[in-house]
Amino acid sequence: MSTSEGGRSMVRLTPVLLILFGLAASVSAGSSDIFPYAYKIEQLENGLIVVSIPLPFPNIISYYTIIRCGSRNEVEPGKSGFAHFFEHMMFKGTKKMPRPAYDDFLTRLGAGTNGYTTDDYTCYFIVFAGRENLSRVVAVEADRFLNLYYDEESLKTEAPVIEGEYYSSLSNPDRRLWELLRQTAFEKHSYKHTTLGYLEDIKDMPNQFAYSQQFKERYYSPDNTIILVAGDFDHDELMKLIKYHYSSWPRSNYLLETPEEPPQTRPKRAHYPWPARTLARLAVAFHGPAFSDEVVDKAALDLLAQTSFSPSSPLYHQLVIDEQKCVSLNASFPDRRDPYLLIFSATVKKDEDLPYVEQQIVAELERLKTELIPVETLAAVKSNLRYSLAQDLGTTDGLASTLAFYLQLKPDPQVLNRLFRLYDQVTPEIIQQMARKYFRPEASTVVTLTGGKEP
Amino acid sequence: MNQLSLRLCLGIFFGVGLMLTNFSCQRVDPNRLRLELLPEKDNPLVHLRVLLRIGSANDPRGKEGITQLCLNLLANGGTKTRTYQEITKAFYPLAASVDLNVDKEMSVFSATVHRDNLEKFYAIFSEMLLEPGFREEDFHRLKTDQLNFLERTLVNNMDEQFGKEILNLMLYENHPYGHHEAGTVETVKSITLDEIKAFYKDQMVQGNLIIGLAGGYPDNFPAKISADFSRLPRGFTPQLKLPMPRPADGLEIVIAEKDTPATAISLGFPHPLTRAKDDFFPLWLACSHFGEHRQHLSWLFQKIREERGQNYGDYAYAEHFLQGRDKFPATNYCRQQQYFSVWIRPVPNSHRHFVLRQTLRELQKLVEAGIPEDRFDLVRTYLLHYTRLYTQTLAERLGWQIDSHYYGYEDFLAEVQERLPRLTKEDVNRAIRKYLNYQNIYIAIITKDGEALKEALVANTASPIKYANPRMPDFILEEDKEIEVFPLRVKPEKVLVVPASEFFQKPGIPGKK
Repeated sequence: MSTSEGGRSMVRLTPVLLILFGLAASVSAGSSDIFPYAYKIEQLENGLIVVSIPLPFPNIISYYTIIRCGSRNEVEPGKSGFAHFFEHMMFKGTKKMPRPAYDDFLTRLGAGTNGYTTDDYTCYFIVFAGRENLSRVVAVEADRFLNLYYDEESLKTEAPVIEGEYYSSLSNPDRRLWELLRQTAFEKHSYKHTTLGYLEDIKDMPNQFAYSQQFKERYYSPDNTIILVAGDFDHDELMKLIKYHYSSWPRSNYLLETPEEPPQTRPKRAHYPWPARTLARLAVAFHGPAFSDEVVDKAALDLLAQTSFSPSSPLYHQLVIDEQKCVSLNASFPDRRDPYLLIFSATVKKDEDLPYVEQQIVAELERLKTELIPVETLAAVKSNLRYSLAQDLGTTDGLASTLAFYLQLKPDPQVLNRLFRLYDQVTPEIIQQMARKYFRPEASTVVTLTGGKEP
Repeated sequence: MNQLSLRLCLGIFFGVGLMLTNFSCQRVDPNRLRLELLPEKDNPLVHLRVLLRIGSANDPRGKEGITQLCLNLLANGGTKTRTYQEITKAFYPLAASVDLNVDKEMSVFSATVHRDNLEKFYAIFSEMLLEPGFREEDFHRLKTDQLNFLERTLVNNMDEQFGKEILNLMLYENHPYGHHEAGTVETVKSITLDEIKAFYKDQMVQGNLIIGLAGGYPDNFPAKISADFSRLPRGFTPQLKLPMPRPADGLEIVIAEKDTPATAISLGFPHPLTRAKDDFFPLWLACSHFGEHRQHLSWLFQKIREERGQNYGDYAYAEHFLQGRDKFPATNYCRQQQYFSVWIRPVPNSHRHFVLRQTLRELQKLVEAGIPEDRFDLVRTYLLHYTRLYTQTLAERLGWQIDSHYYGYEDFLAEVQERLPRLTKEDVNRAIRKYLNYQNIYIAIITKDGEALKEALVANTASPIKYANPRMPDFILEEDKEIEVFPLRVKPEKVLVVPASEFFQKPGIPGKK
């Protein structure tokens, strides 16, 4: 189990279940479980965890490699965006299977394949048809993670692609607002920067060949990796392949120390002047807890976000539908391994309404501290979350992509059952306690964005 | 030739006399609605799709944007008996919502719900479509949203999409496709609620509707939905008789000028094929080779991004493309007319001339030399396998079924498995020569200092670039020497530089007569 104590987090993985090395746990879905599929979980001696979910949907297999390394790991100055950059480098091939051969393999397989990087993890997936292709996929993926090879020249050529990716979203004001929010709200923790990183660090990436090698050694190791396979395959055959191909992957034993974020003691504000015309943006954020499937705080806050800010909430009706001040109103409390932000955001039609919308959001949070939310409202939220998850889990790849997110938080599908059991325990009184605990003015950050003048 | 199934043409009749049919085959009664069913008894989810065979191309002149606004009032407005607030509240515990997509000739309302909730959801959903409230407050809200999208968001917050929309204006000037689905600022402002009501009355008629159902719905549900929607008047809107879009005359360029460090480029030209035609298959394969959407397979991606690190990606398409789930094509954007296009993701302004040259040079090479043998085999194998991933969700399976029928197939993806193995490299090269060209192209560019770019393009100024990697491979540097002076025949009168803020104010390309 990963721990997060005082900002220090261990990278090495231990499955939540007490599994001895080399032993497998086989778990069937219980009647009250939200996660509806039987699965198996095994750990190799080198620490690699394998979660296997054979499914009744025919023909498709999703093969996910989850590295518990994201922009959170970019704790050194000048290295923001590096986890994402390294994700690009992971497609450069090996000596045995250089990039063109790797591309050729995936192309002929007709696989849906990509990688993505987040704050806490980086995920590589191959979705393909035909169980007869599984053995090649395991062999090729293992080769890639164990034997990645690239030279300094190819790193220098790849680096400007990241700049191109940065430019692709440059015209999106939400991205800029998001950057500004994190930059303002965090003082020390690496959540201060976005996954893409600072532009000046991106521009310096061509010079980071040596660091890239160090980065790989630290984080791309079996004790920091989960393999998730879902779909039409045989578990025993899968494990035979995985043991054969991955067992020689050496552990890293690297311990990441993420900087501890000091408690915020005064409210913060920042503004982004967008050069062109745009709708105004507002984000009001508070420091919140890390993800937990044991302590109720985060689960209760998830429900709070929905009761008070979803499209069915009174405040949404007021600001978006009745008064029509806002185009959108959202509450986003992302699940992160370390304490993160509770974010309320709005897209506002007129710049001059920004203070009013902010005041209404804050007033709603104050109301939550003094008034209990109706039990039936809470029941509707719980119902929404259950049915939303049922839809997410309805296909092989929907299941794999949803579960990948939770597995990087806790490497066992039981995490979903525990989370939903926590949701069941949340009462209006607990929500009120959480509102009082977390929505303190001194822990708030407000950022705004407004556009240029009318032409 | 299209393989139509006799089964589909005959239809399957329900109690109320409706038929499950293919709407591009001979119809028994074009005035009545049709069903598309895809039952999956064990699936706990149900997907509903109400498709209208009208889209923004049906907007009356001067009222561009009315289809979207009208249908949005159904999807995101109240009914006669329920306010929109009441609807959102009722949908919320069901985790249900109604999505709306409006394209040129097709619009779709869609929703996925758990079968536990089907009855509750459907009661409201059917009311939204059959008994819309057309409330003044909803109208005001959604009209304002549509105007804000046109005036601020599209032009200032999403340059890549902006580039694609300018290309659409160029491809279809003076053509029913030639405006954004959201319309223009001027025309949307002019739309009244009475006009919306009249539009609904004219267009929401049985023959315009295809109702799709997929998943674990109860046996009696198709009959129920048929009976309910049969309360709509009979009738249909005849399919539009579209004029031929004007081919580009040389390189026709529109530069939308704004303060930006990166340049977005979209280019293309109309062609006469759709999926219904035999030649579509080889052309599709050629475009997959040249620029498969967001895949390393794309030749342009290899040359521009992989070899040179110029941008995030470079792709080409044989038909109008929207990304659906993951990177797969979205469904139900069927059109009578299609176009070829290339999407160059933003490049630093200092490299824009070079990358445009490189793109057109690669296109010329494709047209003149065709697809290499090894690539032909690779791309064909890829498509045969990759298309098997297109139908993972209920919505995708039903969407592809509907699209198959639109273009005259029982199952287009099965047709792919049947036809691609029979294709030859010569078939592909013949299609390339016949339908692609490198001389007559519409090019949309969003960049800074538009006049400077125009001048450089017209003068064919050399456009060398610098790399972060000081030791680029020799074969790339050698090729660059050719690219940086690759001649583009750009006539000054064919380049229009327009401030970005002037787009979408009224129909057509600003600054053009």
